[in-house]
Amino acid sequence: MTDETITSGAADDVSRRRFLRVATTAGAAVVLSTAAGLPAVSASPAGAKTLRVYVLVVDGLRPDEIDPHATPHLYALRAEGTNFPQARSLPVMETLPNHVMMMTGVRPDRSGVPANDVYDRDEGAVRTLDRPSDIRVPTLLERLAGTGRVSGSVLSKEYLDTIFGERASVRWEPEPLIPITDHAPDLATKLALSAMVDETDPDLVFVNFGDVDRVGHADLTGTSLGLLRAAALGATDAHVGRFVSELRDRGLWESSVVMVIADHAMDWSHGHKLISLQAPLEADDSLAGKVAIAQNGGADLLTFTGPEPERSVAVERMRGIALSTSGVLSVHRPEELRLAPDCADLVVYCKAGWRFSDPTPISNPIPGNHGHPATAPIPFFVAGGHPRVRKGVTSSAAATTVDVAPTVGELFGLPPIVGGYDGEIRAEALFSREE
Amino acid sequence: MNRRQALRTGSLVAVGGVTLAGPAIAGGAEQPFRHGVASGDPLPDSVLLWTRLTPSADATPGSGRGGESGVGWEVAHDADFRRVAARGRVRTGPERDHTVKADVTGLDPDTWYYYRFSWRGSTSPVGRTRTAPAVGSDVARLRLGVVSCSNWQAGHFAAYRHLAERGDLDLVIHLGDYLYEYGAESDAVRPHDPPVEMTTLEHYRRRHAQYKTDPALQALHAAAPFAVTWDDHESANDAWAGGAENHTEPDEGTWVERRAKSQQAYAEWMPVRYEPGGKLYRRLTFGSLVELSMLDLRSYRSEQVAHPFDGGVHDDERTITGTEQLDWLTSGLTTATSQWKLVGNSVMISPVQFPSTLNTRELEAITGIIGPIEGVPYNVDQWDGYTSDRAAVLRALRDHGVSGTVFLTGDIHSGWATELPADPLTYPLSGDSVATELVCTSVTSDNIDDYLNVPPRTLSLVVEAVIKVANPHVKYLDFDSHGFSVLEVTPAHVRMDWFRLADRTDPDSAAEVTASYRVPAGTDKLERAPRSMDGVTPRHEAATDDERAAARRQALARQEPR
Repeated sequence: MTDETITSGAADDVSRRRFLRVATTAGAAVVLSTAAGLPAVSASPAGAKTLRVYVLVVDGLRPDEIDPHATPHLYALRAEGTNFPQARSLPVMETLPNHVMMMTGVRPDRSGVPANDVYDRDEGAVRTLDRPSDIRVPTLLERLAGTGRVSGSVLSKEYLDTIFGERASVRWEPEPLIPITDHAPDLATKLALSAMVDETDPDLVFVNFGDVDRVGHADLTGTSLGLLRAAALGATDAHVGRFVSELRDRGLWESSVVMVIADHAMDWSHGHKLISLQAPLEADDSLAGKVAIAQNGGADLLTFTGPEPERSVAVERMRGIALSTSGVLSVHRPEELRLAPDCADLVVYCKAGWRFSDPTPISNPIPGNHGHPATAPIPFFVAGGHPRVRKGVTSSAAATTVDVAPTVGELFGLPPIVGGYDGEIRAEALFSREE
Repeated sequence: MNRRQALRTGSLVAVGGVTLAGPAIAGGAEQPFRHGVASGDPLPDSVLLWTRLTPSADATPGSGRGGESGVGWEVAHDADFRRVAARGRVRTGPERDHTVKADVTGLDPDTWYYYRFSWRGSTSPVGRTRTAPAVGSDVARLRLGVVSCSNWQAGHFAAYRHLAERGDLDLVIHLGDYLYEYGAESDAVRPHDPPVEMTTLEHYRRRHAQYKTDPALQALHAAAPFAVTWDDHESANDAWAGGAENHTEPDEGTWVERRAKSQQAYAEWMPVRYEPGGKLYRRLTFGSLVELSMLDLRSYRSEQVAHPFDGGVHDDERTITGTEQLDWLTSGLTTATSQWKLVGNSVMISPVQFPSTLNTRELEAITGIIGPIEGVPYNVDQWDGYTSDRAAVLRALRDHGVSGTVFLTGDIHSGWATELPADPLTYPLSGDSVATELVCTSVTSDNIDDYLNVPPRTLSLVVEAVIKVANPHVKYLDFDSHGFSVLEVTPAHVRMDWFRLADRTDPDSAAEVTASYRVPAGTDKLERAPRSMDGVTPRHEAATDDERAAARRQALARQEPR
């Protein structure tokens, strides 16, 4: 059952959104919004559509966590399709930059999103990159919508939802949001996904399941038993399993490509293994009060805020202080990591089993973190009943998050974005059109 | 004449469905290429070919006699040499003991080739070799033989024969102790030549030459390229940078001189891209599937500590790799683009605690194969004796999120499959590991049942169970068997099958598969495979389920009173 209303957007939002209230099988109502002027429901009859792509991001999932006992549905799905066991997240191994890379196909020096949090030089403050304007290139969501197809976003985390904003033709705004984590539980996400598919049958849906990550962050047994994490894994796996069953039951499986990926992995630290760079930087007379730190869990982004003539000397002092701090793995210039030079002067990584906590030692009390190289390995596999999906294949290819957009784009026959993709089409997973 | 008889006489070698004619070997002692042919260190466009010419009756190995010679070589796409891909000539002479090494370039990647040598109308046996796949190319599967610890005096090399007969190996990795330095022993299955401990250049050359007369070894060299490294016995037992346990100065000369002679003979007689003064550690790449780092853990290592209680095992000034090789290894592992990072590692890197629930006799038996342990945690000749270097390697893997590192190891005359804990403190709960280690057993060299002088798979089963209880990261352990391993590498897994010889003193010994473990891609964990890659159900650890269960009960019972 669907109710439809049309409302004006906010004062600074000239677009008009239509809101669809969809009753779900669980009895809850899911509200979807669609952009006026774009098709809200696939124009093709369900039976005529030959391609549907679902990109399911299990936030923070590690590849070694997929096994036949803990995650039987993901395990089976992976075995059915093409698996990339070498897959890796890209710097900075955080949620926002990697989701943006998935949907744009370009690295952060082009996408504009290098980390979750950065020091915004214009605003003179550290902030989360959660604004639609933070993405500087077109994403698949609006590019596909521009071809008359329907794209959907079902993103459980609030900052993900806001940065992608109204790019998709159909959007679910996550609710209910859990306080502190600012994400909707996977149960709600799954219901919204099913409702969206039922109601609007998008050609592409971009989905983020946040529980595995959010629970993992807080799991105090993460270094040993991972009890909370294991429970979240099982539940999320079941949601994915149910969604796949629905696709099969509705006869959509043969036209579906299901891409499962994580944006980053997760690493747990003991309570005492934290790095706080603020204090040693402040203790340096030439740096005191002149360094802004954007803390991203396993990575600190340091920006010198003092006079420009002092910058080069100051940055070298910052590098030296960071490298002499216990738990620091390495220090990089942003361009080494293909991040925009203006996002920071230095990116500092921690070692496995450590975390950053800035500006104070109590700023980051959570044991589970990511952002550092230890959290780069991710699951990435392409499954589904679509005839182009190669079945039962494992590939040595070094797949990354930035490969999602080129691969999905190829499936839909979209041309690369202006300037070309930074990622690659993962042809290992697909039969060519001629085959 | 059946195939085994053919191998023993050397007149025919059947490899990969192709019979390699071997008129030279059939000629026996009169044949100028009587030490066979070999190839090694394949690259995408080249491979190293090896043989030894005996140009005159007096030009015996180590003699320094015989004149200069020009030896021709040919590489062809077919065993009949109708489609020759490359040919050339190499000069040799007494200064290099008439050994021949030809680095053939300009070959196609991922291609089987046949090769032979010629001299004054005589032709060598035909060998078969394979170039590596092109850098970055997709590779569906590699199969490798993995061997170590082949002591001539302890038995015959039936293990090599079994590997040669498989015909499906792209490469054979020899992890060291290819030959032994000891003098002839009265109870040897077959005595060493020369009969004395090798200490001089002549000795080392003669010993290499003796081993190269073994028909099974010749057959395996002719069947597939090798990637080799040395362990200690190629020079002397428990060698380190400045000496060896089995080296006595001044009676046996200086260590510097002795080691130089051993290395010269090794460079002359092995199909390896190594020349004296150079580096043995090197990396071979097989498309996007494998990077194989072959280590040298003898040339740069600090002296072993006297006993495992010595705090020196944790001294970060002490090294097993040397600084340069450690940097090369860790940077290679953390920047590798290939999926599987295989490490040819002559001594075990897994931490192994020897529990106090072992009795004196059992400890002595273990001491027999790994050196003095005195009932305490370490074998100080392994990475356990150099924990700083080990921590650096494992730390690098963990810090950089490197997956797919598999250490391939020999030395310890026993079969092991272990996980390398990311954090030993939390491993029993988390099970998180950063790499795995697969240890092949000895081709012939003594192990526990030989030292205990008990029938195999009896008392050793209890010892193994005790060690596994104390070391939960050890998933498989067989202290008794002699044999070989076959490693399969695909994008989906790395898998090792362990084979056990029925009788190491029998050149015709049968072999059975006793274990198969796989490392699924992306896990760095081990799981037991129900069948071998040949489709056989292993008689796991060469024992019945009841026997293994009984051994585990005994192991646990030993813990209870404590």
